Amino acid sequence: MKNSELENILDECLERLVKGETVEQCLQRYPEQAAQLEPLLQTAQAVRKASAILPRSEFKARARYEFRSALQATATRRRLPLFSLRPRWAMALMIIGIVLVAGGGTAAAASNSMPDSPLYPVKLATEQVRLTLTPSDMGKARLCTALADRRVAEIIYMANRGDAEQVDAIAQCLDERLTMLVMLVSAEKVEVPAVEGAPRALTEEPALAPPPAPALPPAPSEEAQGDGDVYAGGNGRAELRMIVAGCACEHPAALRAALGKAPESAKPALRRAIYLSVAGYERALAALD
Amino acid sequence: MQDEESLVRRAKQRDQEAFAQLYEGYFDKIYRYVALRIGDRMEAEDITQQVFLNAIKAISSFRWRGIPFSAWLFRIAHNQVVDYLRRKAKRPAIPLDESLVASDHDPQLIAGQKLDIERLHSATGKLTPAQREVISLRFAGELSIAQVASIMGKSEGAVKALQHSAIVALRKTLSVA
Repeated sequence: MKNSELENILDECLERLVKGETVEQCLQRYPEQAAQLEPLLQTAQAVRKASAILPRSEFKARARYEFRSALQATATRRRLPLFSLRPRWAMALMIIGIVLVAGGGTAAAASNSMPDSPLYPVKLATEQVRLTLTPSDMGKARLCTALADRRVAEIIYMANRGDAEQVDAIAQCLDERLTMLVMLVSAEKVEVPAVEGAPRALTEEPALAPPPAPALPPAPSEEAQGDGDVYAGGNGRAELRMIVAGCACEHPAALRAALGKAPESAKPALRRAIYLSVAGYERALAALD
Repeated sequence: MQDEESLVRRAKQRDQEAFAQLYEGYFDKIYRYVALRIGDRMEAEDITQQVFLNAIKAISSFRWRGIPFSAWLFRIAHNQVVDYLRRKAKRPAIPLDESLVASDHDPQLIAGQKLDIERLHSATGKLTPAQREVISLRFAGELSIAQVASIMGKSEGAVKALQHSAIVALRKTLSVA
């Protein structure tokens, strides 16, 4: 008998086993192949039984809750129209307008704001404008690194406040920035995406004045690397790699350190943020190599 | 589960209930697939969660082009597993243990499964990557040959051949009579 014939019969029997037939019933259908089939079907049954593991019920409940929360957060973010659907130049003009009306101090104050601050959308929009106006891919990539540093500080801040939903949302923003970094250094053309999500920040007043951002290991200086294109040449790539390598060590380490202090409710989201940061920086370093 | 195509269409429109139904339909299968592939309980939980969070992000890009939703979802899981395995060498894994089995199961059954799970995980480690993927998708993910072929980008005949050779190899390793 041809191998392919046996393979077809084996597969048909496997499907029948799934539907509830016994090994013996399958063998009766193929008496000529029974001797070859029997050990294979017995093995397949053992494999199927061993594979039938179930997730822990407490994990399943927690995962379901977090999935629902993430769905809810996505829906909320989509309902927030601020800047997200506007052309980037229109958005740049809007930010310039904000600065002119409210004074440069607003944008400066916003640069240190945290996601529970009313100024946080201004911070995100300002970042978006900086990305848009940065001319070279290498300059954009360096700015992405600096913005990733901000996101990590924000994740730690929101984790300390026990806000798992915001930790998840900002971790997604971190992931997007690192993905953008990878694409930029891979010399792919990237359209600067819409402003990162700012769930809740528009409408809710912070209960307390935000404490200072958590201390992180020395971060890449935005002033030195953000708007300027100082390192756009070949050395720029090597320098960027050094910065990214530093962040690849420091950011996950800072997030892991925060895990020890964060409330239980924020820990699963913080673990996902750690996972995303580790994976994101590994991709970035691989792209830079 | 309702008609899957209709659920996916609604999920793409951010219908939370539709997405939740898809989640419930696939959660256990994705978890089993991930757990069998990586053999680490905590990581399998985290990765399973991440698969569905990534699915939320990417659902708008899903298109019905002859590729079933299950194939798309398991492709996300596969990519997550590959990402994880690339990093795995840097830290020790937590071995598969009895906590992989639901705690509300019969203790004798748990004891029997524990042995099988450990042996199966160890045995699949001796298969080729393609054989291991077929076994994980077919038996842990409970996917059809057509779905596995779609995920792996192979013909159904090639998947059947891999399935056959994998079972033969597992039989030798597991010494199942």
